[in-house]
Amino acid sequence: MKRFFLLALLLTLLLAGCAPRPGGRIVYGLTLSPSGIDPHVNASSELGIPLTSVYDTLVYQDPATGEFVPGLAERWEVSDDGRVYTFHLRRGVTFHDGTPFNAEAVRFNLERITSDELASQKARFMLGPYEGVEVVDETTVRILLSEPFAPLLDSLSQVYLGMASPAAVEQWGTEYQLHQVGTGPYMFVEYVPGDHLLLRRNPDYAWGPPIYEHNTATVEEIEFRFFTDPATRSPALETGEADVMGEIPPQDAARLSQSEDFRIEAVPIPGVSLMFFMNTTRPPLDDLRVRQALLYGTDRPAIVSTVFRDTSPVAYGPLSAVTFGYDPAVRTEYPYSYDPARAAALLAEAGWADSDGDGLLDRDGQPLTLDMVLMGWGFMPEVGQLLAAQWAELGIGVNSRVVSYPEALQAASEGQHHLIPFTLSGSDPDILRKFFHSQAGFNWSLVNDPEMDGWLEEGARVSDPAQRATLYSQVQRRVMEQALVIPIRDYVNPNGVSNRVQNLRFDARGWFPWLIDVTLAR
Amino acid sequence: MVRNAARRLLEAAFVLWLAATLAFLALQLTPGDPAQALLAASGATPEQVAARRAQLGLDDPLPLQYLRYLMELLRGDLGQSWLHGRSVGRMIAEQLPPTVELALAATAVGVTLGVALGTLAAARRDTWLDAAATALAVVGLSTPVYGSGLLAILLFSLHLRWLPASGTGGLAHLLLPALVLGFALAGSIARVVRSRVVEVLGAPFVLAARARGVSGRRLLLGHVLRAALGPALMVTALQFGFLLGGAVVTESVFARQGLGRLALQAILWRDLPVVRGVVLVGALAYVLSNLLADLAQTALDPRLREEAT
Repeated sequence: MKRFFLLALLLTLLLAGCAPRPGGRIVYGLTLSPSGIDPHVNASSELGIPLTSVYDTLVYQDPATGEFVPGLAERWEVSDDGRVYTFHLRRGVTFHDGTPFNAEAVRFNLERITSDELASQKARFMLGPYEGVEVVDETTVRILLSEPFAPLLDSLSQVYLGMASPAAVEQWGTEYQLHQVGTGPYMFVEYVPGDHLLLRRNPDYAWGPPIYEHNTATVEEIEFRFFTDPATRSPALETGEADVMGEIPPQDAARLSQSEDFRIEAVPIPGVSLMFFMNTTRPPLDDLRVRQALLYGTDRPAIVSTVFRDTSPVAYGPLSAVTFGYDPAVRTEYPYSYDPARAAALLAEAGWADSDGDGLLDRDGQPLTLDMVLMGWGFMPEVGQLLAAQWAELGIGVNSRVVSYPEALQAASEGQHHLIPFTLSGSDPDILRKFFHSQAGFNWSLVNDPEMDGWLEEGARVSDPAQRATLYSQVQRRVMEQALVIPIRDYVNPNGVSNRVQNLRFDARGWFPWLIDVTLAR
Repeated sequence: MVRNAARRLLEAAFVLWLAATLAFLALQLTPGDPAQALLAASGATPEQVAARRAQLGLDDPLPLQYLRYLMELLRGDLGQSWLHGRSVGRMIAEQLPPTVELALAATAVGVTLGVALGTLAAARRDTWLDAAATALAVVGLSTPVYGSGLLAILLFSLHLRWLPASGTGGLAHLLLPALVLGFALAGSIARVVRSRVVEVLGAPFVLAARARGVSGRRLLLGHVLRAALGPALMVTALQFGFLLGGAVVTESVFARQGLGRLALQAILWRDLPVVRGVVLVGALAYVLSNLLADLAQTALDPRLREEAT
């Protein structure tokens, strides 16, 4: 009897050792005050940091392989013409308010997202050529498209298309974002706009995707707070007011990584690298040689080292290296290594010379000066300043001005610029269509290349990954061959993490943590 | 008295209408299309962006937009945020209390510190105390809140660990931002108070009081300070705009909730309904603070009371 008791005790201890005991609390610092946090309505990436753990999605993407794995949908089929996606849903899933999750809930969510009334800023457009949704039975639902759309699964794996409780949505209306209800590993407790957002562990969670390590979350409560001012982020960590904090400024990251109490987890973000678009319709940048000269005249490693303290890799093409479809051959074929002599030769070939001895190149009495439009975030002014300094040595003048995002959009759409930078995250290479298709909103190089338009359209339609990779490789090469952009760096998010927080893993977008797997050090 | 009050009310209504109209016009003149800002990164087609613009009423002729806006205002409706998709009235109601709390606390700090420094400087005119107090006032006046805020965090939060560096909450969270913002306010108050006290110290009634044998300290606190408080209040009221502007930065540095951060975001995104709403609330606060300062000054200075009746 005594032996049996001891054995039982031992077993209990062992089990307790394996499964971390739930409890504890962490404070997670967000870097923007989000512009509204209803994932169906709003577009900020900040909202996804907490809400990826509140909502489940039909499918998930494995960041290691890029494959899509089951989520709320156990399996799915795509029709031969690529226009009908049939999802077979998991049974026994309930929302945090007790509402059952089923095909009807999926229909409700998709119809909400696509309604004019909701005025979605992102989710609706992620569905591409969405035509409608059909409930087949309790656990089967179809999404209908007017034409094939390869990025659909990628879209459906993101929190913006997460499944919300129809009952809660109907109850709260436009105030739903303060009372969100999903099926995820964490429950939404409260949101005080501008101050904090609180999540509590969902003890009943048992339907996580295979890519989660844990079945239910460990940390009992997670509070999110907003640190919009970059200079205040590392102090918040160091005073213990936050345990995790994204977007630590490079110089603070260097210091924190030396500390015994903190570490820097730098997560590479897939999408479009930080790059300067060159307006190919405005002289002198309509001349390929001048655009190439700017590329050769740019010491990118020096810029990345100065501004980003080597926290992020130098970019060589339009896609960051961790994006599906990124072709490393772009780097070897079009390295545009720093070569001021070659840049000067190209400029001379294009007819630019310093004829009046004022230090600026000129042609037909016109000096070589470029208009640069910058936005105040993402270290764009700092990079712009270094570019201007490097190009000054070649005899190129730069007039730069810093404007707000809406102003920059307007300036670029009117072609007022020679150069304008941008960066955007996204895990599907279809993101290139937003920038290099002749009709795209961000076609800031003002490129009009029917062949490239064709590749980009084809890439959005065909579902075979190999075929897509080939198409996007062609696009990436064309962009660099034609010197449409000056890539600067791949985006990396330096997260400062207190060492009491363990096993912080991130999804395929790089931005969104899997809070379910987080544990606390003893 | 009643006529006076009616005139004040009319003036207030005029100021509010003016603020509403200026906010409306200023935003029309700012470049940048709100619909494009909202949707550009989402991959919406140009047609979809145009449809959203129409939905927001941005395609309508300007006079029509203005009229609709005024009608909504008269009904007490501030509209819905284009960015957040929520009622502007509710959003402001959420963010107003922490900003008012900060503004009041900063005013208390500013007036106390400013009056103390100014009086001290005047009473010990041309001594090292005067120089030190004036120097401190100038430092407060000319240091941007951004800089002093970060310094305060470094010293009191990171180094001494006395106060939290961020957040909204109890007194502990309020103290540091209120000190920083109040210190900036104290600078301008101290300067006004100093010159006023110097002036009053030479005034006949003070000489008379002195001749009656009123002691130095009683004289200073009972007579001189009372005369100096009015101008201090006036400066405070006039500085209210500065206080609101400073609150924007202070809220950002201390990661505090508040109207300032809401307004900043709305301006950056051309979220017109929110910007207009915040401007209107700011104008209302300005009108109220001026009214209060007037009343307080009347109460402090008997001569004004007679004029007013």
